[in-house]
Amino acid sequence: MTIEAVDTRARGLRPRRETDTVGVVGFARRIDWLLLGAVVAIVAYGLRAIDGITKHNVGGSLAGRQALYAGVGAVLLVVATLIDPAFYRRVKSVIYGGTLGVMALVLVASAATHGSHRWINLGFFQFQPSEFGKVFFTLFIAGFLADRAKRIDDASVPLAAVALGFVPIVLVFAEPDVGTALVYSAALLAVLFTIGVRWLHLGVIAAVGLLGVLAVLWWLPAAGVNVLKPYQAQRLTGFTHPSSDPRGATYNVEQSIIAVGDGGLRGRGVGGSTQVKLDYLPANDTDFAFSSLAEERGFVGAAFLLLLYLFVVWRGLKIVTGAADLYSAAVAGGLVFAFLFQIYVNVGMAIGLAPITGIPLPLVSVGGSSMITNLLAVGILQSIRVRGGRRR
Amino acid sequence: MPEGRSRRFLPGDPRVEEPYRLTPQLALRVGILGAVALAIFAVLFLRLWALQVLSANKYRAEANNNRVRTLLIEAPRGPILDRYGRVLVGNVPGTRVELWPADLPKSWPAQRAELRQLSTVTGVALSDILKKMRDAAGDPLTPIVVQYGIHPDQIDYIAEHQTQFPGVQLAESYLRTYPNQALAAHILGYVGPITEQEYEADRKLGYQPTDNIGQAGVESEYDQYLRGRDGSAQMTVDARGRPTSSIVPTTLQRPGNTLRLTIDIDVQRAAEKALKYGISLAHQNGEWAADGGAIVAMDPRDGSIIALASNPTYKPSVYVSRDPKKLAPLQEAAVAAKDNYPAIDRAISVGYPPGSTWKPVTALAAMETRILQPYSTLLCSPTFTVPGQTGKGETFTNWDPYVNQWIDLPTALAESCDTYFYQLGYKFYLLPPSEGHPLQNWASRFGFGATSGLDLQGEYGGLVPTPEWRRTHFAGKPYTAIDRVWKPGYSVQLAIGQGDLLVTPLQMARFYSVIANGGQLVTPHIAEDVEQPTGDPSAPRILERFGAQPPTPTGVDPSALKIVQQGLFEGTHSSIGTSSGVFGSFPVAIAGKTGTAQKLFKLPGYPNAVEFNQSWWCGYGPFDKPTIVVCAVIENGGHGGVAAAPAALKVFEAYFHKKGILSTHISD
Repeated sequence: MTIEAVDTRARGLRPRRETDTVGVVGFARRIDWLLLGAVVAIVAYGLRAIDGITKHNVGGSLAGRQALYAGVGAVLLVVATLIDPAFYRRVKSVIYGGTLGVMALVLVASAATHGSHRWINLGFFQFQPSEFGKVFFTLFIAGFLADRAKRIDDASVPLAAVALGFVPIVLVFAEPDVGTALVYSAALLAVLFTIGVRWLHLGVIAAVGLLGVLAVLWWLPAAGVNVLKPYQAQRLTGFTHPSSDPRGATYNVEQSIIAVGDGGLRGRGVGGSTQVKLDYLPANDTDFAFSSLAEERGFVGAAFLLLLYLFVVWRGLKIVTGAADLYSAAVAGGLVFAFLFQIYVNVGMAIGLAPITGIPLPLVSVGGSSMITNLLAVGILQSIRVRGGRRR
Repeated sequence: MPEGRSRRFLPGDPRVEEPYRLTPQLALRVGILGAVALAIFAVLFLRLWALQVLSANKYRAEANNNRVRTLLIEAPRGPILDRYGRVLVGNVPGTRVELWPADLPKSWPAQRAELRQLSTVTGVALSDILKKMRDAAGDPLTPIVVQYGIHPDQIDYIAEHQTQFPGVQLAESYLRTYPNQALAAHILGYVGPITEQEYEADRKLGYQPTDNIGQAGVESEYDQYLRGRDGSAQMTVDARGRPTSSIVPTTLQRPGNTLRLTIDIDVQRAAEKALKYGISLAHQNGEWAADGGAIVAMDPRDGSIIALASNPTYKPSVYVSRDPKKLAPLQEAAVAAKDNYPAIDRAISVGYPPGSTWKPVTALAAMETRILQPYSTLLCSPTFTVPGQTGKGETFTNWDPYVNQWIDLPTALAESCDTYFYQLGYKFYLLPPSEGHPLQNWASRFGFGATSGLDLQGEYGGLVPTPEWRRTHFAGKPYTAIDRVWKPGYSVQLAIGQGDLLVTPLQMARFYSVIANGGQLVTPHIAEDVEQPTGDPSAPRILERFGAQPPTPTGVDPSALKIVQQGLFEGTHSSIGTSSGVFGSFPVAIAGKTGTAQKLFKLPGYPNAVEFNQSWWCGYGPFDKPTIVVCAVIENGGHGGVAAAPAALKVFEAYFHKKGILSTHISD
């Protein structure tokens, strides 16, 4: 299949890529059309849902603008499909440095919106670097680790990767965007996991991470050191007892659960979804888009969306197994797991199973950065798939 | 190829592509990721199923509660009319301030700032608002009523600054109005917020914890007729409390029914003025301590109350404005004492010794017991001493120390000879135990010692002392055996309405009705009927008639009554009568009896209680066919002929003028 390069002197000897030879038809044939179909279905269903959610708004439906973002994302998807992932690996230092630089810029210079500094205002577009950062972060960490794959059992390698990953995580955390920082952490963990870090090391990292979360949420505040702002801590822990403070921190969760339950089996329809229409549900087209959809389309609609997501995750995992090299596998693993993690946190938040963190629902929530980033990630997955081994 | 091992002899160049194939290890890890994904989706699905399918109804209801607001549409309370249909209590539309706690600002400082502002505007203490909010914490769908009947300026302020008052709403309301000011205050009572105890007790009747209910007088007694049924309406609101639909009525309000009383506004007003007049007469006569009184005017044929006055009084409207300063005399003990307790209805709630107005009871009982032949004579002497006793306390004086003649019963009643009745009292004392206590028995047959059954709360039953009462009342420490003995002096004093005896003006009026109507004990009543207004005010639809209850025959001998009636007529007409000067020239024949009863009164600022004369007069007219009994008492007013009798005359004037018997007022 490929030549195994065992000699350091055999530089430049690279496995011959199938794509070099297959041509356009073969390329097209190797695209995962099922994955693409599922993604298109999610985007389309999401646009329809957003239209239903926002058509009563003063400014009118947001579906048109969201479709525009999806179009931009589709272009990026195609471009990403054409780019060999090896390219990212070569320029990983540039990616890393650039991502950090933009994030720092966000912190230093961006205007304050919603009390947090997540966006750079480009006039026509509120650019949210931390969203794009998810993908770049994964690309970089996977590259760093893949380069040191032989020494992966050495504790210093995963340690170095965690240290490198920690910098953007802290920057995002400081924006403050706890939710996205969690997504980064999930992606980091997934890359470490996929690339083959020893179970022991994974266990230690997971344990330290858990201790860190506990410390930030409970122990340090108890000792008088507040890493998080009080509202953040309340949101993160409030979901464990949603009715404790219906007028305060858990109001959103309470209203979200009511909205979801109100949907029932078949949903209340676009006209009858009172939680959404009468503004009881906050952020009903972004953070709580799933609750809105659940109220309007019911269990049938919500389950349909979840099944589509599950299908995407399954296709994504298949791409991991079929990746051409370890780097690609790790990138795919990180992207797929980050995708899964976002779904869990967003949907879980809407139904009271996860903390309120303000993570958008992938491919559905209103917001250009998120939509474009996720489509970009799908493009990278397709690229990996196209250049992957012949196995299945 | 295990990479870890190759490293030892052939360190890898990190820049070299690591050739890749799916190792079993990676396959395992991808499998684990897949399992995690499946587990996550399984959890999400299960939770979604639980929320949307299993508990959908619950959340559907919560979602509906979120947006549907129930508004109370207040029903006007029924008006209260006098016997001729004139309004005693009506309603005026007002505005009430309501608060929806759910719509208040979420943050406590902003919420407090708004409530503080609201407190300033409405004049309701912040602590009261917060208490109401706490009390209603369990019910997010009913607004809290902050204040009823706010002033137009306050309405304007809140309406113009609506944006500063999220959650505050103005709603239509009705307020009690009293066109005759303080008139009949004690009869009418007032309306106030339901207390916790009342709510617990009357829950079955459909009261709500936020209701206003009648708190005294007929407002309380006939609350269930007067109160209407509030209607409700619904509207939907968005998350900020802004209406998103029009107001849709769900239940229509039903106004309360009209209550018609037996009161005659003119006579009632005359009675209240007469009390002031009587007090001023007492003052002119040197009775400086006169400061209150009561008048009962009753139809002796059926017990309907024509007037029921008590002095001092108050304006029921103070319970509408709820100005604490004006309410203080009615609610705070110290202020009430200073103002001589205006809240007390002296006509029905206070027991006085009746003095000589009691003598007809003694006379009737004595004739029935055959210890008195009405037309044989007894000596009316200046003093009476219980035979065989020499102690100072056993000698009783006549009010007139210069009289010394043999008189019959009518004369004894007319000139109110005390010593005549002392002898009767002593004869009662001498009766063998087998006879029982005929005087007290007849007294209770005439309605004394028990409440009359008047349809007003707070009636006092009075006290008719008996040897048995003395034994039980003075049992144990600090009393001694001597206190428990019924001494002859007690019987002697009871005969002229003194001693421990206590009667209310109402009981007295009821007894004089027995004399006037020929021996029937009527049940006093003040409510005539409950009506539903129809288009024609002169022909209302009567829903329930309370009216007169059948009287109880007392069994008193009509010939004995005749003699008492004659004595009472002489009391107002013969030259020796104690109130002839007042009633002798009145064109309608009035019969009646004065009373001057000693009662120990402790006045503010005096260390010891002082004995004051309670000025009484009871009587009826027209003599041959009585239609009205009047009983008047002026506290500390001196002799009955001085204060009470002229006051009673004013009532007769108003009544008979009303009846067209007099063409003009006789005196003014």
